[in-house]
Amino acid sequence: MALFRWGHSWDAFHDLEREVDRLLQSVNLSFQGLRFGRQYPPVNLYELPTEYLITAELPGVKSEELELTIANGVLSMTGRHANPEGTAEERFRRQERPRGVWQRSISLPDRVKADELSAEFVNGILKVHLPKAEEVKPRQIPVAFGA
Amino acid sequence: MTSELTQTAKNGNTPAPHPPVERLVFTPPIDIYETDAGLVLRADLPGVSLDTLELQVQDNKLTLFGRMEQVVPENARLLHQEYETGDFLRSFILSDEVDHQHITAKLNNGVLEVVLPKADKPEPRRIPVATS
Repeated sequence: MALFRWGHSWDAFHDLEREVDRLLQSVNLSFQGLRFGRQYPPVNLYELPTEYLITAELPGVKSEELELTIANGVLSMTGRHANPEGTAEERFRRQERPRGVWQRSISLPDRVKADELSAEFVNGILKVHLPKAEEVKPRQIPVAFGA
Repeated sequence: MTSELTQTAKNGNTPAPHPPVERLVFTPPIDIYETDAGLVLRADLPGVSLDTLELQVQDNKLTLFGRMEQVVPENARLLHQEYETGDFLRSFILSDEVDHQHITAKLNNGVLEVVLPKADKPEPRRIPVATS
């Protein structure tokens, strides 16, 4: 009587393989893999002679769904991606676009006039204009000789 | 590292009036969901306007191509970069259940929405069988 049969051991291996496949199929890696380690939304920062310009890719976001605040040289953006109205989860055949609430803070490279900040949306790209603050003039400190 | 390299390349190209820049091609993220009338496809195409978007159906393939427009002035100096300007390209195979003649699309805030209505299924036809 054979105690160990190759045939049977391979059967067990195939069972395991099938089980692993089944588990992997339930995990959708496409979106997480793509965005892993990246902050949302992606932003670019530019410098112009009189202002700094921040652009962010925010397709589908409306002005009223976005909040911009500036404090202590940090610009904060908060918003949410709304789901298509009244669409049940099971009706989605594919879901790759980001959804939910997001938040992002960006440290500004220099002093800006916080009260003159302006923002606009152009084809799903947010543009934030941050006018540069006037250079702080160097101040002479008179040094008195000690008696 | 990547942003540094891109920045150097851009600065190096500025003297030429029209530097021959190779454009990047991205696959836009999409949602597809069912409605009672058919299917709706949504694609994120930030920076694409009506003038730079092409949508076409050939045979049973739907192709979308969008060109991102540069939104910053020429004299802007890039300090930090997390996304790049390029083109969006993606195509889909349409099934027979989609009415190819009545596909409609609109572009709003950088999101393309394509409505793919269901095609009317031909009614089953009875074939009379005659005996010889």
